[in-house]
Amino acid sequence: MKKTLLGSLALGVTMIATSPAAFAVDPEQDRQNLVDFFKSKSPKIAFEDYKDGGYIYSADKRAQWEAVEEFPPYLDSVDAGEELYQQDQAVYEKCFGDDPANVRPHYPYFDEKTQQVVTLEWAINICREDAGLKPFKYKKGDIAKLSAYFAYQSRGQKVDVKIDSDGAREAYNKGRDMFIKPVGQLGLSCAKCHAYNAGRYARADLLSPTLGHTTHFPVFRAKWQELGTLHRRYGGCHQNMRANPFKPQSEEYRNLEFFQAYISNGLEINGPGYRQ
Amino acid sequence: MNLKMKQLLTAFAVSCAVMTAPVSVQAADKPAASDIEEGKKLAFSRSKGNCLACHMAGDGAQPGNIGPALVAMKLRYPDKQKLYNKVWGTSDSMKVPNSMMPEFGLHGILTDDEIRKVVDYIYTL
Ligand code: HEC
Ligand code: HEC
Repeated sequence: MKKTLLGSLALGVTMIATSPAAFAVDPEQDRQNLVDFFKSKSPKIAFEDYKDGGYIYSADKRAQWEAVEEFPPYLDSVDAGEELYQQDQAVYEKCFGDDPANVRPHYPYFDEKTQQVVTLEWAINICREDAGLKPFKYKKGDIAKLSAYFAYQSRGQKVDVKIDSDGAREAYNKGRDMFIKPVGQLGLSCAKCHAYNAGRYARADLLSPTLGHTTHFPVFRAKWQELGTLHRRYGGCHQNMRANPFKPQSEEYRNLEFFQAYISNGLEINGPGYRQ
Repeated sequence: MNLKMKQLLTAFAVSCAVMTAPVSVQAADKPAASDIEEGKKLAFSRSKGNCLACHMAGDGAQPGNIGPALVAMKLRYPDKQKLYNKVWGTSDSMKVPNSMMPEFGLHGILTDDEIRKVVDYIYTL
């Protein structure tokens, strides 16, 4: 069972490499394969738990994490995010509607007009620029605080990314392709760490599963001592792979987020999260 | 060194690798203690071998467990050249599908001489 799933994931690489359009995978089938893959890898872990990242693999680390989450270090940032929201509330309401709890669950989505994936952070900046406001920087600071505020308001709702056009399927496949292809000097791919070796340790770091990666962002990392966005993390992982990171909110990273968010469909939104 | 430069160098190392076969490891039957010591440093260093990221090795602190523990290497690799080839990533070495094991020589991560020292070190484990 596990072998064939691994095989099907791996097979995708070579096929996509030769001809992207002709052999592109069906996202829903692909998502189910991935869910099955993690199920056969860890039969005792319930699907709902994948929102908790690497902590599902270690009772010890989980206990430490839960202790921190009792007095979460990101709450001040959520408050700061609320203040940012209120400062330009009229602007945001025009873009996102008047219910801040009904924003996060709609992102990322595929915009048919521009044929682009629209992420929450990207939409925030487009919204600001259209209103003549200065855009935020993408990795940390105000963008992360505002994004954390939206996530916090939507806690408990479920990831529900939709793919129902050729353009969206292509964006998914591009993101998937980036996830699977080995790059950089070490010959690593995201999949090697976050699919095949999820649950194992790289030095003292417990490798989290890709399923659920997007549910709890932005994340307050002990190492950062502040909130950082998903694309900041992507850049960090690419750097660790000794590969060239892309710019946050580049088309490449938006497609990658689209892929990761789609496969997390059905999981609870629980951002912002704390991570070691 | 910036990333671009590093990648150029890597590309260069790869193209060289195609042309030249990796050097033999057999140079010294009994490696110098200093080589073993240097090999250990290279193996543990995060910016060099970083073997501990994935392998338990000797007394290295906080090893990962992505790859098998590096123990009893002599027993498992009676032919030291085969061990060298695995770390270097020669085309005739053992290949595991989707392996995380970097090809240290092929991708120019370590020099041939550095790999020789790393192998001298792990051969003592
Ligand atoms: C060499 C191993 C390795 C590779 C390759 C790698 N990562 Fe990571 N990644 C880590 C480690 C270690 C962490 C921190 C522990 C954790 O949460 O998994 C991490 C964390 C993350 C997180 C945060 C998880 C959380 O719950 O907060 C995301 C998202 C992520 N990686 C995505 C990626 C993507 C996308 C790629 C490919 C572009 C990638 N990683 C490649 C090792 C890796
Ligand atoms: C990013 C993870 C990673 C790093 C770093 C790494 N390895 Fe590995 N290594 C693996 C994995 C996974 C395997 C098992 C699969 C295979 O053989 O390719 C492996 C296999 C091996 C084997 C074969 C083991 C056996 O039982 O026959 C040797 C020898 C080895 N590694 C040595 C090293 C040395 C020496 C270094 C550092 C210079 C190193 N590795 C760095 C992941 C890694």
